[in-house]
Amino acid sequence: MTLGATMPSGSSAAVIVSESTPLVSARALTKDFGGGGRLLGPAEKPLRAIAQVSLEIQCGEVLGVVGESGSGKSTLGRLLLRLIQPTEGTIIFDGQDVSAMAPRELRRFRRHMQMIFQDPYASLNARMTVGDALTESLTMHRGLKRSDAKDAAAALLAQVGLTREHLARYPRAFSGGQRQRVAIARALASQPRFIVADEPVSALDVSIQAEVINLLQDLQRELGLSLMFISHDLSVVEVIAERVMVLYLGRIMETAPTEALFSRPAHPYTAILMQAAPSARRASERLLATGEIPSPRNPPSGCVFRTRCPFAIQACGEGGRPALREIAPGHFKACIRDDLAL
Amino acid sequence: MAFCEAVLRIEDLRTYFHTDAGVVRAVNGVTLTVAEGETLAIVGESGSGKSVTGLTVMRLLARTPGRVEGGSIRFRGRDGNVIDLLSLSEEGMAAIRGRDIAMIFQDPMSSLNPVFSVGDQIAESIRIHRRATRQDARAQAIDLLRQVGITDPEQRVDDYPHQLSGGMRQRVMIAIALACDPKLLIADEPTTALDVTIQAQIIALLKRLQRERNMAMIFVTHDLKLVEEIADHVAVMYASQIVEQGPAAEILSRPRHPYTRALLDCTPHGARNRRLSPIPGSLPNPIAPPQGCRFHPRCRFAKEACVAGEPRLETVSANHVTRCIRWREIDL
Repeated sequence: MTLGATMPSGSSAAVIVSESTPLVSARALTKDFGGGGRLLGPAEKPLRAIAQVSLEIQCGEVLGVVGESGSGKSTLGRLLLRLIQPTEGTIIFDGQDVSAMAPRELRRFRRHMQMIFQDPYASLNARMTVGDALTESLTMHRGLKRSDAKDAAAALLAQVGLTREHLARYPRAFSGGQRQRVAIARALASQPRFIVADEPVSALDVSIQAEVINLLQDLQRELGLSLMFISHDLSVVEVIAERVMVLYLGRIMETAPTEALFSRPAHPYTAILMQAAPSARRASERLLATGEIPSPRNPPSGCVFRTRCPFAIQACGEGGRPALREIAPGHFKACIRDDLAL
Repeated sequence: MAFCEAVLRIEDLRTYFHTDAGVVRAVNGVTLTVAEGETLAIVGESGSGKSVTGLTVMRLLARTPGRVEGGSIRFRGRDGNVIDLLSLSEEGMAAIRGRDIAMIFQDPMSSLNPVFSVGDQIAESIRIHRRATRQDARAQAIDLLRQVGITDPEQRVDDYPHQLSGGMRQRVMIAIALACDPKLLIADEPTTALDVTIQAQIIALLKRLQRERNMAMIFVTHDLKLVEEIADHVAVMYASQIVEQGPAAEILSRPRHPYTRALLDCTPHGARNRRLSPIPGSLPNPIAPPQGCRFHPRCRFAKEACVAGEPRLETVSANHVTRCIRWREIDL
């Protein structure tokens, strides 16, 4: 990934231009919730969940997205799949403008992009056997005949480490880890090229978590999938992602190849997130963020993180949003201070 | 450890659940001691029995199919007298619960009452156990909110739970728990639902309050990485039993039970393990746990002798025990 010219003045978003064509590319994505006219009374101020985010995901690349609750990471994932409409900005998937697609066209296009959620129980139909759920996807997206679909469903289950016998079972008959395997099988049924996994292992015990991460890693490599892996847990992201993006209040604070980000964090927020993880550092030496993430309805002026940042100076509140600057190849940060040893 | 400094001593505790499918021995022969000012972490995966142990101490199983079928829980009260909590009447236990032993849970929203202000809820816990006027209780509530790090406590005291963030709610729960200055706090996954940044703040808060009050704490968690940070001693539970117990630093750096080692190995440690090592197999059926050592079907060191008999806790060093017959010969 390389970074080209920055956006016209006044915007903090960077335009990302690369030599190879990315599979997914988003330009200046913005998502507002609420706002607009109310029936009575003055218009409500919208909540900006994602502000001017640009990104690229290459074929076969795993992008990790981290940040606290309310940072906008789930919203970003949903925007890329156009499960929700962007307020501004474009999403290009394999050369096609997904953000401009008509509903009919989008429905057909969905097979290329799938999602895996934290709670597989909520995303599986409790009244459908696993076989029926997979068959539905196989006949709808891949146009298989029902008779062929059963074999294809069994093959999918084998791919995620389950067996043909599991086809006749209902979701409730599975353990948490097995259910997440079923959800992965269903996501794979349409032969997607891009999967957004939103906290896929956060509800699982560590021993099961390790199994599911290994499975996702294997499938991603075998099938050459592009993956956006959303997690609040940096240690999990470090294992699976090739590149990491750190979000705060809907804005990119830092993005870098995984190794560079973890060995040389350049944004105070990244350093704080890393050090907050238990056992990462002695409690007494740890950088702590003051307070909690503010409401996205009233983000601070200047750098949005400055109200919690131990290194904030007066300049952080002035001069608009700090631009994403490239400080090393592929390593960008949105922080005006270059004098920090993090 | 001498009994004189122990606040809580659990011996051979057995808590069973009688279900239609059979008897679940959720806590099966657990022995633990917690001393004044000290933190004991109970670590395990879902279904290991760690939470039921805490609930049994609080005698909060009355409306469940759970029954205590053996063992003793001895608690040293304020006056220095040792009481067997299991033989107390319901009224006797109600006087201790919330005053001498308090508990906080993972989800503060389900423990807080949505229709009362947080100030009223803190004041209530003060007035149940102590004589205090409404004004005094309110003043104490404000002071407690300040102690748990809530800014503008004079305003916040009138907030309702839904007006607070998850981290703030957990701070309020801690304020309620500490209202009567308990000798023992049982914290059941208190930071699991919180962001890491807020988790770090809550852990720092709990440690400070514990130091100031010389309070004993039982910290129930699934997260071994947290143990290092908060606990002096740790008990690792697997399938309703303690499999290893001892000083936290020693157990994390030099585990003597294959399950503890396996738990450490499957935890992501970033660049050090780009490929994770899951524990093979799955948790045993709680109604019919495996014969012999309960971990043997998943253990890479298992031998015939591990299946033959149920292992006892063996002494590794002064305070360190392991439920593994092979701990001397295997290299963990």
